[in-house]
Formats: sequence, structure tokens, C-alpha cells
Amino acid sequence: MQSVIGGACSGRRQLAAQRFPCAGWHRLVKGEGAEECLAGHAGREVLVVDGIAAWLSAALAEIPDDDALRETWLRLLDGFVAAPCEAVLILDEMGRGIVPMDSAARRLRDHNGWLVQAAVERSRVAWYLRHGLFKQLK
Amino acid sequence: MIAFVSGGARCGKSRFAEALLCRWHVQRGGRRWYLATARAADTEMAARIARHRRERGPGWHTLEAPLALDVALARVGDGDSVLLDCLTLWASQWRYGGGGSDDEGEALLAECLAAARVRGIALVVVSNDLNEDLPPGDAETRRYIAFLQRLHRRLAHEADRVVEVVAGLPIEWKPIVENDAETTG
Repeated sequence: MQSVIGGACSGRRQLAAQRFPCAGWHRLVKGEGAEECLAGHAGREVLVVDGIAAWLSAALAEIPDDDALRETWLRLLDGFVAAPCEAVLILDEMGRGIVPMDSAARRLRDHNGWLVQAAVERSRVAWYLRHGLFKQLK
Repeated sequence: MIAFVSGGARCGKSRFAEALLCRWHVQRGGRRWYLATARAADTEMAARIARHRRERGPGWHTLEAPLALDVALARVGDGDSVLLDCLTLWASQWRYGGGGSDDEGEALLAECLAAARVRGIALVVVSNDLNEDLPPGDAETRRYIAFLQRLHRRLAHEADRVVEVVAGLPIEWKPIVENDAETTG
């Protein structure tokens, strides 16, 4: 598995497209698991998975318990680690602003940060994008 | 020679950019320009502009360019050194203060970068990193961030040096050897 991390409009998708020109692309939808996602792309060597922050945002609304939510996104990540293809996850850096007043926004920011850390921990390679330039973190 | 310097609020990016521009100016000669994008819209803003001007000290020629960067740059001599501070403010004025479309804004920036390159102007551009916060709740702010990021990606691509400033210290994203300033124009 590989992770591509960056802020909004930082050039993550362009980097993934350049590095993996033959990859399949999949946008995760609300409630979807890794197995369902992978089933639609059998035979692909590389699959770029987008929409993870939106998927997490939807899961947050559905799952009020933090431990259960954590289990849900860990299951998603482990599914991509075990995939027969190389999964390339497009991940959002969203932790560099002020602490939000709204508790739901704080919860999204917290879980997104933990998810990104767990994804990078499980990745062979991790990239960080800033204004279209990248550094390989791992 | 073009440099792009950015970072968060009060990280020391303007001070770093000024020091970089001054080093280039000493190496290259010519005149030293401050291209101000801020408009003195109220007394607080006027005081802020006056403070920045005092902090820069003497030896700077100031041009105000809330929108027409190209017109301001045309007044600068070939081989001079220019500090543009800051692009974030210019982007908001371009979108909400009578500039034009996002495409036209990016094209104007590209035109200025090309002119600086052709005319041997040393240009340092300062901007704010605003895209690593929670996604904005409203569509208009998302469109603004998207526009600013278009400008940032264009600048980072074209610049010879790209620096992120954290707590006053530089993190190099596209480093160059300082001595190149004398030879590459």
C-alpha cells in the first residue's frame, strides 16, 4: 500500500496519475468497504483510492461511538493492505488550522489525523504534497 | 531568479523573504522594490502598512499593486530586485475586488513570472498556506482556496527556489545554490 498526503488542491491526484499512469481509480462511497471497492477492479495492478475524507465524514455521522468508528476505518485500511493489487490512498492533511468550535468538526479532524497516521504506518511508501511539489516521507 | 516563500500566520515568512531579497539585491545591484498588494481600506490596515514600511527600513522603492501586478512590474527596471508581499491578499482582491476570472488571474501571474525571467528581475513572492485546515463549510471559501492553490502550484512549478517557513526557519522544497543568483539572472 502507498499513501499520498496533502492539503486541499495540493496536487495529490496529479502525482498519483503521473506515477501510476495505468492505475484504476476508485472514489469510495458512504459505507463502502475495501472488499467491495476492490471487487470492481479485479486484475488491476494498482488502484488509486480517493474520497476517503468524505467516506470518513459520512461514517462519523453514522457511528457515534469512537472505538467502533476506529474499528471501521482500521478495517478499511487493513482491507487495502491485504489487497491483491497495490492500493494508493489519497489522504487529506487537515490538522493545521485552529481547533474548531464545533464538536463534529473536531471529531472529523481527530479521526482523520489518526486514520492518516495508521495508513502511513501500514504503507510501504508515503508521499507528502505541498503546492505541487512532493517529498517522500517513507 | 524567482523564489516562492510561504507559511502560516506569523511564521516569519515576510522577514525571511526580505532577507533573501536583500541578499540577492546586494549580489546583483540595481534598485530594490517592494510590491505591496495591500489596500489601506481602513485605519488598522493603514497602520499595519506603515509598520511594515518602517520595519523594512530605508532603501526600498514601494509600488502599490492591489490588482495590476503587470503594470507595477513594468515600472521596475531590468535586473532590479522585487519583493511581492503578499499573494494571498492579491488573490482575494482579484476574486472579490474587481479583478477577473480565475483563469485570467492565473494567466496574469504567469505573465509576470515570464516577464521577470526575461528581464532578469529577481523576484521573491510571499504567500500564506491556507489549505491544510478542515475543508471550509461554504462553497465560496472552497473556490477561493482552489484559486489560491492554482497560483501556488504555478509559482512552485516556475520558481527556482521554494521555501516553507516554520517559526522563522526555512524548510527547503526546491533549493538552489545562492551563488547562482549572480549568474542565472
